[in-house]
Amino acid sequence: MADILDILDIEQPATEISRDSIIHGDKNKKKYVTAKAVKRPEGMHREVFALLYNDNKELPPLLPTDTGKAYKQTKARLGMRKVRKWVWAPFTNPARKDNAVFHHWKRASDEAKEYPFAQFNKQVSIPSYSESEYNQYLKSEDWSQAETDHLMDLCQRFDLRFIVIHDRWDRAAFRDRSVEDLKERYYNICSILSKVKTNPWSNTVTMVNGEKRVYHYDAEHERKRKEQLRRLFDRTQEQIDEEQMLLAELKKIEARKRERERKTQDLQKLISRADSGTITPSTPTNHNTEPPGTPSSMAANMRRHDRKLHKKKITTQQRPMRAVENVTVEWSGIKFPEARGTGVWLRSQRMKLPPGVGQRKTKAIEQELRLMNIDIAPTPTEPICKHFNELRSDLALSIDLKNALASCEFELQALRHQYEALNPGKTLTIPASICNTSVDSDSKPVGEIIDVVGSPGAMNTTI
Amino acid sequence: MSLTTDFGPDSGGRVKGLTIVKPIVYGNIARYFGKKREEDGHTHQWTVYVKPYANEDMSTYIKKVHFKLHESYANPNRIVTKPPYELMETGWGEFEIVIKLYFHDPNERPLTLYHILKLFQSPVTEGTPPTFGHALVSESYEEIVFQEPTQLMQHLLKNVRPITNGHWKHDTDFEEKKEKTLERIIEAQTKVRTEISELKEKLSLAKETIAKFKEEIAKLQNSSGNNIMM
Repeated sequence: MADILDILDIEQPATEISRDSIIHGDKNKKKYVTAKAVKRPEGMHREVFALLYNDNKELPPLLPTDTGKAYKQTKARLGMRKVRKWVWAPFTNPARKDNAVFHHWKRASDEAKEYPFAQFNKQVSIPSYSESEYNQYLKSEDWSQAETDHLMDLCQRFDLRFIVIHDRWDRAAFRDRSVEDLKERYYNICSILSKVKTNPWSNTVTMVNGEKRVYHYDAEHERKRKEQLRRLFDRTQEQIDEEQMLLAELKKIEARKRERERKTQDLQKLISRADSGTITPSTPTNHNTEPPGTPSSMAANMRRHDRKLHKKKITTQQRPMRAVENVTVEWSGIKFPEARGTGVWLRSQRMKLPPGVGQRKTKAIEQELRLMNIDIAPTPTEPICKHFNELRSDLALSIDLKNALASCEFELQALRHQYEALNPGKTLTIPASICNTSVDSDSKPVGEIIDVVGSPGAMNTTI
Repeated sequence: MSLTTDFGPDSGGRVKGLTIVKPIVYGNIARYFGKKREEDGHTHQWTVYVKPYANEDMSTYIKKVHFKLHESYANPNRIVTKPPYELMETGWGEFEIVIKLYFHDPNERPLTLYHILKLFQSPVTEGTPPTFGHALVSESYEEIVFQEPTQLMQHLLKNVRPITNGHWKHDTDFEEKKEKTLERIIEAQTKVRTEISELKEKLSLAKETIAKFKEEIAKLQNSSGNNIMM
């Protein structure tokens, strides 16, 4: 009956709802629950029953229970203790030798402690030497004993602050010395004395693994360093600008050099590929005009060299030419990766272009394939893969050759112009077959081909 | 199966020098409803599939096939564990389906195929996919190459049963396609090679001409220098 009342919320038993009753009311309830403990029905598994009725049959509270004893909110307790007094008290600093008395605020409770900041007054121990020691070890041609004594005195007084020491140097009695000179002399004395005497001078000698290490002052290095800094600081704006300009130039030169090297490599690759000649019809004719091996590479070298000079000349006059040359940079056939190791793979993976092939070349190859009406992803069988890869490699080579030819043609034109300028009224003839293959036909107006007089053999007569 | 005890996954290494090739066909078939469906705007029913090219049961070596659909589908990751490895759905758009093939042999990594679901007839292309009634088929041929499979895998690959007693055929005539493609490629190859040899000749001629031109210019420069001297 009470259960039903609880569920339907019909009549609340005597307890009124207060925070306390919610939080501390569980004791009464517990009794109530244990008294009427629900029996596990027959056949119900213990685990299932435990999910429904656990020991603590409480639902989570609906109201926030922040006043409970479980979670205490710690609050700052102000004004619980007596106020401790501050007093304006005199103090002496043991680091000072003049017994000056200053005042500061401090707690009346903590009495008579030594001034805490006195411990930071570190004293540098400066080595000392006797007359005989000086004569025995420390004699120097450059330094008199009086001067050395003066230095040591200043070191002691100014705690090795060499800038100050240099400032207070007695220029009337001794000649002017640089900070480096002073330091050099001082550290030199320290190292000599530490070797001679048993008493190690704390600031210059450290023990590392039971071994004495003496601070070594490299005066020469220090002088150079300062000189360098001084020069850097003294630069004028023009000098700075010039340096920037030179650095930029250097970068350009290096980039050009790299590019040239890359071109050379590419050319070499192309030549070796072209010479190795997998193609039967071309090889004999090719060899007639150009014997294999060294001559061709020599020719290439010559050409490269000439081009370098040529390019230098041109760049001084007109800039846009370089862009044209850049187009012809990349050339080589495609090397497809060799057969792989064990495992499962898809045949079509074999037809992927290796990552070395650039976007532009890939596009160009695909364009060629489309022109020849070949699917750019054909049905992958073994023979198709093989031939398709070979075809694409050949296409890449052919594209490169076309570009190379175009750049050769360009060079020929430039040479002819040069010739015409040197020898007005005469001209050189470019073999017609070369001109016809130009990739971009707009680069050569038709008018230039008209003055072709004859075969290359006839050139000597025209001159 | 008793054979698993004979050839456990770790029994022996791989069979040296052996390569087994299993051709497959994957793709989709799509049918237009005839109109846009009211409730979800879908226009097509389609089935994406992976099936063997030959008449054999792939389940001996394929463990499961994972189809990854477009994100907008509920549970875009669908797994098919037994043949036929296919999945029927409806939709209104084309997208790329990622198909992953898992093998029984734990030593073999899964293979990934990519198929662009095709619902609409492309306007004008040569070799348009074949149609059956109102259905459109877009399928591709692929070869799975098992290079030096393990003994277990070899056993599984060699002992495949036919799927059907009837005639096993495909909507696309791949034999003809293969033949034609190969023919065309070889033809193109010969063409490109002649072109290359021509280009090489031209290039060497060009190089020679450049050398000659340079010679001439050098001569001219020398002689003009002499003239000035005189």
